[in-house]
Amino acid sequence: MTTRPGLSREWLRKNMTTVGPIVFVIAVEVVFQMINPFFLKYQGIISLIYSMSYFLVAACGLTFVIMTGSFDFSVPSLLKLSALLCVLYIEDLGLWVIPLALLVCVGFGFINGLFLAKFNVPSFMATLGVSIVVEGIARYLSKGFLQIMDDKAFRSLSTTFIAGLPSVFYWGMGIWLISIFLALRTPFGRRTYAVGGNLIGAALSDTNVARHRIYVFMLSGFLSGLAGVLYMAQMGGGSVEMGADMAIPLFASVVAGGTALTGGVGGPHRTLLGVIIITWIQAGMNMLAIGRDIQMLTFGLIAIGMSIATIDRKRKIIK
Amino acid sequence: MDDSLLAVKGVSKTFGGVVHALDDISLAARRNEIVGIVGENGAGKSTLMKILVGVYPPDKGELYHKGEKVPFPRDPKEAAKRGISIVYQEKGVIPWLKVYQFLFLGHEDKYVKFSKLQTDKMKKQAADILEELHVKCDAEVFMHELPLSTQKMVEIARAILSVRLESGEDGTTPIIILDEPTGPLNDEERRELFSDLLEMKKNASFFFISHIIPEVREFTDRVHVLRDGKLVANYDFSEEKIEEEDLFRAIVGRESSEYISKVEIKGLASKTVALTAKDLTKKGHYYDITFDLHEGECVGIFGPAGSGKSQIIRTIAGIMSFEKGELVVNGQKLKASELPYVRLKKGIGYFSGETGKELFLNWPILKNISFVNMQKILGKFMPVINFNAERKMAQRIVQLLRIRTPSVNTDCYSLSGGNKQKVSVGKWVERKPDILLLDDPTIGIDVGAREDIYEVLSEMKKSGICMILVSDDPKEYSILCDRIMFVMDGRIQKVLSPDEFRKVVGI
Repeated sequence: MTTRPGLSREWLRKNMTTVGPIVFVIAVEVVFQMINPFFLKYQGIISLIYSMSYFLVAACGLTFVIMTGSFDFSVPSLLKLSALLCVLYIEDLGLWVIPLALLVCVGFGFINGLFLAKFNVPSFMATLGVSIVVEGIARYLSKGFLQIMDDKAFRSLSTTFIAGLPSVFYWGMGIWLISIFLALRTPFGRRTYAVGGNLIGAALSDTNVARHRIYVFMLSGFLSGLAGVLYMAQMGGGSVEMGADMAIPLFASVVAGGTALTGGVGGPHRTLLGVIIITWIQAGMNMLAIGRDIQMLTFGLIAIGMSIATIDRKRKIIK
Repeated sequence: MDDSLLAVKGVSKTFGGVVHALDDISLAARRNEIVGIVGENGAGKSTLMKILVGVYPPDKGELYHKGEKVPFPRDPKEAAKRGISIVYQEKGVIPWLKVYQFLFLGHEDKYVKFSKLQTDKMKKQAADILEELHVKCDAEVFMHELPLSTQKMVEIARAILSVRLESGEDGTTPIIILDEPTGPLNDEERRELFSDLLEMKKNASFFFISHIIPEVREFTDRVHVLRDGKLVANYDFSEEKIEEEDLFRAIVGRESSEYISKVEIKGLASKTVALTAKDLTKKGHYYDITFDLHEGECVGIFGPAGSGKSQIIRTIAGIMSFEKGELVVNGQKLKASELPYVRLKKGIGYFSGETGKELFLNWPILKNISFVNMQKILGKFMPVINFNAERKMAQRIVQLLRIRTPSVNTDCYSLSGGNKQKVSVGKWVERKPDILLLDDPTIGIDVGAREDIYEVLSEMKKSGICMILVSDDPKEYSILCDRIMFVMDGRIQKVLSPDEFRKVVGI
């Protein structure tokens, strides 16, 4: 039998969601490198890292939620709220503002999870509602002004250079590695896949499904908050308008990595590729002065395209 | 075959060239009769019916309509043109449609005038047909407002209607296939449905698929028995007197009866009590269920479909809650609304044979086995999964249960039904709960895999694990159980020993 061509095609089909993003990343890199030779020079790399690292932190949290088959719309608004809390209250609280911001975000994550797990509100709706509430709070607190962060200690969180790279890079990578570890090597991760893969099966094991879902949303809230802290530290200021167009790229980056919206498939290890694809395209387009309009269009298409590629069509999706 | 309305001859069907779903089946329906088709799960009943309505093409065989040879239909619409329509077991009703809307669903195009739906005409025709078929309901109420038996009748009316609308002539007698129509009904609703069906017989012929023997014997004119894809018996109730036991024997067959005497456990009275149920009640499902479960014992809850047996076992598993009574496990009183994970912590495991219910199909075997055994594969100092221990655990189970798979990393999707089931059992073998609940543990799998599973379950029993069994297969009770509680209408009627049980069901 001539199985070889069939086998390799089979292999490619099975691993398409892994091979695809890698090929895509290389293609993106080559194209931008050709257009702009500075893309991967030191300065280019630094700017890429700045746009990528905090993003990766938030995306890791979202990945866990999507792995359970739910969705968290509140990530960008929690990120914003956390950033604003830091800049508004740093003078009063000093660096204690960081745990405060994180705690608030975890709290909203808890509320998200509670709506889903206890009241059976679909997570799309619950988190969208919460994100709008959070948006309102952010608007109220900041009163729409541009806020400047001038606390040196706070800013050094993201901007200290270690071995030639800003510290936010190590934060991002650290969180990413911890997320991978959590997803692949701990009972917590196994349960996350289980809840997304087969809800009834998970409920019939010794998993407390309701509590686990709440935990996952709390984790997502925590990482959104942390991303907000890092974002504020690297940007040094912002208004309530920041992060407004972060939502679509963020969602796109998780699915672009290969975590299916159906849940139970993918994981944070894949999200790095998705984040690279999205943030590099974003950075490349910025360098080429391509407008927001075309950028949004591109990310939307990537998100939809990757959803089609990764979704487990044997199962229902609406959750 | 002269007076037959619809006849099939020599129909065979294989899936993937291996499994003989149907082997040389010939049968017929005459005008105005109800033909029963009975058989176990996987006997081929549904496959045969799906061929008749054009869902599957047969490999071989011929179809005769009023004595004329016709090709097999290629889709349900074509089948309806020949007078054949089907009422599926469930999911047939759309609750938020009104009766007349539901009746004409899919045929609205015939009632459009100037791109407007003629609802008055539809309502009138709906009322006419309901009256003609003796369905007692208003055409303008919502489906969900009707009792279940009436919903079924409306579904049947809809099937007859679709034949009329598709075939275009009034002369064709509709042949309606009823796929286990009584599943969700209680006894009263059942009787209601059957008295209506006997009325409808004047206008149609029926194929009646069921595995509930009493109703088949009572309400059908003739019955065909399928087993493993073969037609093994035909009975004509107008000509001969058939006992329920005869039917039972024909359906179940005797192939693996030699297995029955293999496992026996004696001297249970001295053993400690692991679980006590006292006056367990949930209205509408079961009442005053009282029994003790001893260490190393297997108690069967046997009864017809709808008797409440599944609800009882699911209550013990924590999937349902009970309203009254007491449930005590190892001296600990259980709360009524505890979820399965709490019960599992207290030592009650629940194993269902329904494919994909508790199995993670997109996971490899090893993750499926380790999922309820997480504690055993965590590192000593940190709650981190030890992949090596996980693999070894899975390999041991794969060997023990003779699971046929290239490796423990194979995804469960690609395993055969029997091997999937073995993976499910395997995780409980490793977990060793105090009490294992078996909810149809071998549904739809072949004899070889069954015996492997029985063997492992018997081993578990010997080691002191007690079990409660609910099954559709009477053989299973006589193989596994030490006591069998006969449940009917939600109450325990009798407690039988395995020998008595065998006599009662005739195996």
